[in-house]
Amino acid sequence: MAEKFDNLEEHLEKFIENIRQLGIIVSDFQPSSQAVLNQKLNFMISGLQDIDKCQKQLHDINVPLEVFEYIDQGRNPQLYTKECLERALARNEQVKGKIDTMT
Amino acid sequence: MFSTLFGQNEAQGPTGSSSLGFGPGKPPPPIPQNQVSMAGQMPPQLVDEGPALRKSGAMSGPFYLLRELPVGNELTGNTNLITHYNLEHAYNKFCGKKVKEKLSNFLPELPGMIDCPGTQDGSSLRSLIDKPPVCGNSFSPLTGASLTGFRLHTGPLPEQYRLMHIQPPKKKSKHKHKHHRPQDPLPQETPSDSDPKKKKKKRDDDPDRKKKKKDKKKKKNRHSPDHPGLTGSQPSSNSLR
Repeated sequence: MAEKFDNLEEHLEKFIENIRQLGIIVSDFQPSSQAVLNQKLNFMISGLQDIDKCQKQLHDINVPLEVFEYIDQGRNPQLYTKECLERALARNEQVKGKIDTMT
Repeated sequence: MFSTLFGQNEAQGPTGSSSLGFGPGKPPPPIPQNQVSMAGQMPPQLVDEGPALRKSGAMSGPFYLLRELPVGNELTGNTNLITHYNLEHAYNKFCGKKVKEKLSNFLPELPGMIDCPGTQDGSSLRSLIDKPPVCGNSFSPLTGASLTGFRLHTGPLPEQYRLMHIQPPKKKSKHKHKHHRPQDPLPQETPSDSDPKKKKKKRDDDPDRKKKKKDKKKKKNRHSPDHPGLTGSQPSSNSLR
């Protein structure tokens, strides 16, 4: 299971690096950079193809929508996992207390 | 009369009840199985058959209005669910240590200003869900004719677009990575020239610089009061000429 995530992560990193280099070329464009720019654009398309192929392996993965809210706010998504665990433990203790008082 | 109101299943009531004058009551009439099964379900025509269903639900057991108890579950809130589902390692990892707040701490290699809210620059994931992009088309590489649209003007970007390259200052890590990635340069530089490690090495290897450094050190030592040769070499102010 971790392999398919590693595969997607690798493709995404290469794609982002390619886009970053594209931005550098475009920021101060020279006529001699046209061929490199064309190459980078085609790399971008092939990168999108590779990422699209990865979706077949990950069709059964579900991501909670609350994680997207954390990312949109610029917060670490691991905080969501932390809060879920803390809430689960707090609720577990609450129910245990109720059971102990009833019995 | 008490027995006829509440009804009893047993033929003989308890001993206490007989002393009070209560006798064994009539057993309740046998409930047809259809009505018992329907009591558990929610039929759509509940309005018409309400009273009948309520009666059957009320009498579905030895005690009035007591429905069937739920099936017992081994896993309850009494057990520690984190240990039950083997999440101790995850709990210690996320709740034991301090998790950093910013997104850039989770994704340190990602370029750009990622700690800003996505709504500011229109890069939010929520907008991707609300307005999904057009999917289903195949990705085909750009041909020569379509690449003509990407012929750009020479020179730097206009100022309004330059902010996209600015990254927040990164803290220098103590551990140096073996594979060095070229950093984002200023707009005037090209990727081939941006290699600060090489520039630093050139400075250190320069022999002239080394000589200059040595000379500077010698001069400093001569002028310092602790230098042993100071009193002999320099002429004293009290000597007669």
